[in-house]
Amino acid sequence: MASAKTINPRSISSESAAVVRPNNIFITTMFWATMGFLYLPLAYLVVQAFLTDPGNIASGFTMEWVLALLHGDSLWEPLMNSLIIGVASATIATFIGTLGAVGFGPFSTVLPPSLTALIMLPILIPEVITGLSLLLFFLLFRFELGATTVVLAHASFSASFVYFIMIEQLRKLDPHLGEAAYDLGAKPGQIFWKVILPNIVPGLMAGWLLSFTISFDDFLISFFTSGAGLITLPLKIYSLMRIGFSPELNAMSLVMICLSTGLVMVLWSKEQSRKWVISGS
Amino acid sequence: MKKLVLRLRDWPPSAWIFFAWLVSLSVLPFLIILAMSFAVRSESGLISWTFTLANYERAFHLVYLKVLAKTIFLSLGATITCLLVGFPVAYYLARATPEKRQMGLMLLFIPFWTNFILRIYGIVSIFGNHGLLNQTIMRLGLTDAPLEILYTRFGIYLGLVYNYLPFIVVPIFSALEKFDLSLREAAMDLGANRWQTFTRVLLPNVREGIAIGSLFVFIPMMGEYVIPDILGGAKEVFLGRVMVEQFFTMQDWPFGSALASVLSMGLMIAVWVRMRFEQRKAGPTSHGLR
Repeated sequence: MASAKTINPRSISSESAAVVRPNNIFITTMFWATMGFLYLPLAYLVVQAFLTDPGNIASGFTMEWVLALLHGDSLWEPLMNSLIIGVASATIATFIGTLGAVGFGPFSTVLPPSLTALIMLPILIPEVITGLSLLLFFLLFRFELGATTVVLAHASFSASFVYFIMIEQLRKLDPHLGEAAYDLGAKPGQIFWKVILPNIVPGLMAGWLLSFTISFDDFLISFFTSGAGLITLPLKIYSLMRIGFSPELNAMSLVMICLSTGLVMVLWSKEQSRKWVISGS
Repeated sequence: MKKLVLRLRDWPPSAWIFFAWLVSLSVLPFLIILAMSFAVRSESGLISWTFTLANYERAFHLVYLKVLAKTIFLSLGATITCLLVGFPVAYYLARATPEKRQMGLMLLFIPFWTNFILRIYGIVSIFGNHGLLNQTIMRLGLTDAPLEILYTRFGIYLGLVYNYLPFIVVPIFSALEKFDLSLREAAMDLGANRWQTFTRVLLPNVREGIAIGSLFVFIPMMGEYVIPDILGGAKEVFLGRVMVEQFFTMQDWPFGSALASVLSMGLMIAVWVRMRFEQRKAGPTSHGLR
């Protein structure tokens, strides 16, 4: 999860005024060749799911394996677990992250750098370390490893993503909006529920979806904090992979690819979460 | 304008809740790892909280120094490859029209939001012994036995490059985007050839983007566990793998924690370096810093 973090938001808007000249042939070729390298393995996973004999590209295509997976039970339990964990952790993360943004929001320009760094910490630390440290934490405090610990683990770092999304969302809000409502006789509760909340819904949705996607796609932290009993979709794919090629694994990969790609498309379509797509998970 | 200062006693309750969450689930676990790295694992396998530096000392034994050297060698090779491939990609994006740039960034990052395990499985499906590549060349009659690409050191390298590439593109892209292209033309007008323009004008201006991007892929690479585990076969050692095995196979938490702490320190230095760069570049009037 650690990776380059800051990207100038302007750079992904369309207002760049740089003199644009077409790229030369070498650069263009390199770009598309790299894209080919990135997409080939994933594209082949899609094709592979439909091969009659998964070990033989020339064996012809069939829907058999995908249908068998959809009608069997090996897919549904891990998928449901992933969805439940995703929904639970995203909801917790959105709630906590928003609280933070509401609390620190008015001071966001004067927050000491150390505090901002602290909030960034969960995003910056490599996943392995996050996973291991949470595992030790859960074991030392005698949590029973399972769905609860995975939800807590996912929500623990997703809350920071939500925080940054909501800080930006709140910054866009007219600071006089609350005052105006107050002048017109609204009570504090009413100001929040009727005036502020409707205006920050897009940020809440983006934050929730980002948290859900991170949780849904996560392997490593679930692997460390789930104990023996719980199995999510990525964990299931991993355990099948350890056994070797199988039509079941290929069909399951197809399902996972479709779901993940769908989720990232939704994230990309939302302005608030787009820049986090580029900073990586 | 009156300067707004945030004092502890002014923190609203909502801020406290968020802060408590952060401290208990991010800071505290991290401190536990740090504390554990100074603890002792007794003969019975229990943890005894007596202060020792032995775990760190052990991390510098020859066995582990060899692991470290191999890990650095592989990660450095992968980082350099990412850089060589990522630079033209970043350059393409920085000079593309805004629409193409949007499209290109999206294309670059979609694969990285598909599940990590799937990306690895994709690599196995292409480069594995029964993968697409081997099927093809065996059908063409180029070889009788499959090429052993994976389950070797090269397999780890391939996995590292594939998984970390986009993260090196973004900082270089940001630096290139700020670079004033007219400088390049000025250099050309003043008689510099293409190579000179590249090495003396363009590179120095994006040096920081390159440094930051490299550090931010290099350090997490060293902690990789799944990539060496699946693509590296049984015998290839790798720092991240050794570290995770200390927790799960060897049950030696203190030593595993020491390795994890060393890795985290490396990353913190990287973050610190980046903050220094940003402060120097940005100056007091910038809007870039929060």
